[in-house]
Amino acid sequence: MPFRRTLLIAPPLAVVVVLGVVPLALVVIWSFWTWDPATYWIKPELSLAGYAAIMDAGRWTVIVSTLAKSFGAAILCSLLAYPLAYAVHVMSGPRVQMLLLALMTIPFFTSYLIRSFSWRLVLGRTGAINEMLQALHITSAPLDWLLFSNFAVFIGFIASYLPFAVFPLLLSMRRVPPELMAAARDLGAGFWRALFTILVPLTYAGLFAGFLFVFVMVAGSSTEVQMLGGAGASIVSVMINDVMRVANYPLAFAISVVMLATIFGMVLVGNGFFKLSGLFGEDAE
Amino acid sequence: MMVNEGVINRLLLWTLAILSLLVIYAPPLYLVAISFNASLQPGLPGLSDLTLHWYATLPKETALMNALWQSLFIAFVTAITATLLSLLAALAYFELKWGRSLWFLAMVLPMFVPGVIEGLALSAIFTHSGVKSSAATVIAGHLLWAMPFAFIVILTSFAAVKPAYLMAADDLGASRWRQFHDITLPLIRPGLTSGFIFAFLLSLNEFTRAFYLSGRQNTLPVVLFGKMNSGASPVIYAISGAILLLSILIVASVVLIAGRARKAQ
Repeated sequence: MPFRRTLLIAPPLAVVVVLGVVPLALVVIWSFWTWDPATYWIKPELSLAGYAAIMDAGRWTVIVSTLAKSFGAAILCSLLAYPLAYAVHVMSGPRVQMLLLALMTIPFFTSYLIRSFSWRLVLGRTGAINEMLQALHITSAPLDWLLFSNFAVFIGFIASYLPFAVFPLLLSMRRVPPELMAAARDLGAGFWRALFTILVPLTYAGLFAGFLFVFVMVAGSSTEVQMLGGAGASIVSVMINDVMRVANYPLAFAISVVMLATIFGMVLVGNGFFKLSGLFGEDAE
Repeated sequence: MMVNEGVINRLLLWTLAILSLLVIYAPPLYLVAISFNASLQPGLPGLSDLTLHWYATLPKETALMNALWQSLFIAFVTAITATLLSLLAALAYFELKWGRSLWFLAMVLPMFVPGVIEGLALSAIFTHSGVKSSAATVIAGHLLWAMPFAFIVILTSFAAVKPAYLMAADDLGASRWRQFHDITLPLIRPGLTSGFIFAFLLSLNEFTRAFYLSGRQNTLPVVLFGKMNSGASPVIYAISGAILLLSILIVASVVLIAGRARKAQ
């Protein structure tokens, strides 16, 4: 019945269109308008000044470094997620499995702000790690590079976004028939050989989806850099905040468009390779 | 899956897994521990120094309390709306023959819009169309962030609704509404509850969008962010610890209850 279908589709679609599609489309259009100093807003005259300004003052280097950070964090999280997913799916009995699943779910819904902030207490000059290192006489003075550094930011990324890499992996591991690994071992393959010739290739989809999720979350993140980055540290979202402090709308919009194009380009290409919706539930294809 | 990894490999894999969990959990739990320390300086409390003093002072922090109430209100409205919309979206998903995958993407893609860009875009539209920032503008921003998660949870819960149940009811003459009300709804109720709770927590803890969209009364994360950067204090540890503990307990019980229900089936 098309009528019932329309009734079901219309409300959620309206929200996505009104709060998502329209604002983002406006951002794209407005990024080509002209900055109007009289109103601190923009006027409808075609201009590429926003995009040209990305090339000024090394702003493009922030975009490049954001992509590099996203790539690095996505690789790190994928590498760490595999043993974790394997431990949950293969090496745990039902009770431990349930506990680990709960532990992997909690981070999605706890404050990213508070969790990033808590690293300050651990990594700071008088933080837990420095106190411990000095108490054990491993170092004589506090290490300065632990906090407000790229090191701290990457730790923050892992702490925040690792679960995004674990869940797609778990979903794809569930689709691998359990006998395959056991059979490979029975036929004499060593554990690592069996892992890399059987399980890893069969879970490429989950591995890739996890990589993509982390990449996209880091590319759009701001909290970790704001809480843990050094004085000069930046990432696209923080740069947009800075640009908006002087209400430079065309530039903020132009940067947003570049990021949105990158993020959605990656998600759509990824979805073309591996049907992302196929990861959720049997009948979801 | 029964795989013989060998003792050393097992040990190695568990070590890596536990290290990862420590990276996620050790610092937040350290913060919670610090919040029970009587001292003004952050540090692990001795057993004799344990105190609820900083928690007891929280109700007197009017700025924090007002922000908390604002956040709770926003989270509640966001969660109700997101749950209802996600239920409709999930029902629509099963009605669709072709275009399912497209519909799924349309519902999930908003998750990937960076918070700053979403917040900036909506706030630019609101301010230049004369809409004053308020709880409503924050809710508008939070809906798109919470809905994809609620949608996935609710969609997954439909696995309990076997097509045969609905066909049998249909054969016996039940209307579409009766089928929904008597069969589908009771079966997906746990999914709806989880969807609501997850959407609530996502909104309660959201910072970047609220930073752009909140009006005169800021939400709790926005107020916290300001305080964290202007010198930390035990009060911040206490309110952060309370929010963390509460979120952890709620999510853990949702997951464990859902897991037990699945086992019982």
